[in-house]
Amino acid sequence: MDAEVQPHRSFEGVFQVFLEEKSPRLATLNLSPGRNVYGERLVRISDAEYRLWDPFRSKLAGAILKGLKHLPIKLGSRVLYLGAASGTTASHVSDIVGNNGYVYCVEFAPRSIRDLINNVCKYRGNMAPILADARIPSQYSSIVQSVNAIYCDVAQPEQAKLLVSNARLFLEKEGWAMLAIKSRSIDVTMEPSEVYRQEINVLKENGFVISEVVRLEPYDKDHVLVVAKYMSRSQYIS
Amino acid sequence: MNVLKATVVTSVLGVIGFGEDGKIAAYKLFSQNTLEIAAKLVDIDAGKNVSEIPEVVKELKEKGFTKFVFENPALSRTVQAQLNVEVEVVSPSEVGENFRRKMGEYAVQTGFVKDASELSRWIHDVSMEVSQLKVRKATEKRDLMIVQAVQALDDMDKTLNLISTRIREWYGLHFPELDRLVEKHEVYANLVKNLGRKKDFTQENIEKLGISQNKAAQIAKAAASSMGGELKDQDIIQIQSLCSCVLGLFEEKSSTEKYIEDLMEEVAPNTSFLSGATLGARLIAIAGGLMNLAKMPASTIQVLGAEKALFRSLTTGARPPKHGIIFQHALVHGSNRRLRGKVARIFSGKLAIAVRTDAFSGTYIGDKLKADLEKRVDELQRKYPEPKPKTHEKRPPKVMGKMKPSRRRRKHGR
Ligand SMILES: C[S@@+](CC[C@H](N)C(=O)[O-])C[C@H]1O[C@@H](n2cnc3c(N)ncnc32)[C@H](O)[C@@H]1O
Repeated sequence: MDAEVQPHRSFEGVFQVFLEEKSPRLATLNLSPGRNVYGERLVRISDAEYRLWDPFRSKLAGAILKGLKHLPIKLGSRVLYLGAASGTTASHVSDIVGNNGYVYCVEFAPRSIRDLINNVCKYRGNMAPILADARIPSQYSSIVQSVNAIYCDVAQPEQAKLLVSNARLFLEKEGWAMLAIKSRSIDVTMEPSEVYRQEINVLKENGFVISEVVRLEPYDKDHVLVVAKYMSRSQYIS
Repeated sequence: MNVLKATVVTSVLGVIGFGEDGKIAAYKLFSQNTLEIAAKLVDIDAGKNVSEIPEVVKELKEKGFTKFVFENPALSRTVQAQLNVEVEVVSPSEVGENFRRKMGEYAVQTGFVKDASELSRWIHDVSMEVSQLKVRKATEKRDLMIVQAVQALDDMDKTLNLISTRIREWYGLHFPELDRLVEKHEVYANLVKNLGRKKDFTQENIEKLGISQNKAAQIAKAAASSMGGELKDQDIIQIQSLCSCVLGLFEEKSSTEKYIEDLMEEVAPNTSFLSGATLGARLIAIAGGLMNLAKMPASTIQVLGAEKALFRSLTTGARPPKHGIIFQHALVHGSNRRLRGKVARIFSGKLAIAVRTDAFSGTYIGDKLKADLEKRVDELQRKYPEPKPKTHEKRPPKVMGKMKPSRRRRKHGR
């Protein structure tokens, strides 16, 4: 029953926990010990507490297990998280960036943000909840600093466009974006890549260079995670 | 004349005006109070003016600036209209970008904090407060929707009963035996709408509409030997059309129920979790709103809704009620008769806490309250175990089951 932990070989702040069974489980160091967020298991190993990170619940965990090459979210990163819902993935991002990093969580459903505030942000000084529509970033520009990475999972059409408008305001030059895109369409005859090519094009047209596209099955059959680097920005006046 | 432009940046710290050289030309800090800052940012984000903006603009004007640049279009329009100055929207502006990158440094430079690391805490505290304010705003007055929706449900119930009874009587001229065989209005209307005249009430047709084999056989048999008279085409068409209308209303009713459930989740999640959405919504409706309910002592909540039942008991001669509508909760009506009063008291006590939490603070404690409640009721039951003779009194369940329908009059609807 002795659990063991190992830092992930590529990603700082991500761990592998070995429980009774053989295969390792993904985990992060719990920034608010004693509390879990979505029913995930807490594991104490010598003086630290880890939260198991469920790849079936969190696309980012799925992407890591599926061989993500570069994780732009690191110790000390400032991250803008669009579509934080009640904080399943965002809380792990908060664990990874640690107390010198910061996670701005944008979510527009009052119900979800209420849970995010009460169950997660209250206990994590590095998280700021923002109740706002991510399509209108000027509504939260008074509170958000420039960020090193944007994670976008709003499950909406035109999310690439939404990501771009947030990048213009908040993403530093050569910062990174991670975007979860629906890859399966109702029309089975259409190639999955067709479905998200358009979204990827929007990123390319707006100064992003695509660095990788990670398929998430079997953890999530409907999405891919796109990682892109922000190379240039176009000023605009409205 | 030369136009001198200043960029006005709004932030957690306050309002800062930058000159064309990118240096601070004028600024006004917010007072160091999380709640106050939050309230100001809510206004600013919504494009409203706050007192610091005209102060900074005035100072900038005195320094010779004539044009003011904002990133937020809504805010720039307000400033233009209220302060009668020339504005421009640049989004993102270079100044804004620079500010967001070095917010920590500016926080120290303006004296808002001593150390840049303190800024994180301010952003955390203020954003918590801002979102909570916005959540409250978003759910404000939503409880009045619940009141109306619950009343709409009651109206629908009354209407459904009225028209369904009419249908039974009307169609009864043709197939009187069906009335007794089908208890639920919805099922009755569905049969008539889909099958029409009794000659089409065959076993097969009836079963297709989801009626059990047994029941279908009974109905088919009754149809074959029915005493009712014939209907002309125009008669049955008219009756069927009324059936469609009733069925539509049944659909409307369940969609309203779903709507109430969602609203309760949004407006009163603690109450909803503790009492169930329907009961919670009824309590809110009777009280005339969440705030009104929150101001009631637990003892009032305990008997809320009894007024109506009392009136019913006077008109129909039924037994007068001992509890309000919280009786509808399984924990209350399912508990031993002797303990019911005590359970109702504990329940209404917890309910009062849940309601107040929903109305005033918006934190979530529903699961804790429910666990507490169950524990207290459990203790109560252990403290007062069921007395022995009571078990002898109990009739075998079979007999009870048979007794029920005949004791009450037939219950229509749901
Ligand atoms: C798929 S869920 C996100 C799940 C989350 N990323 C996780 O893994 O824990 C999408 C969320 O985006 C939110 N959302 C959708 N459109 C939005 C918008 N325009 N602005 C802000 N949030 C939005 C939805 O309310 C929903 O909670």
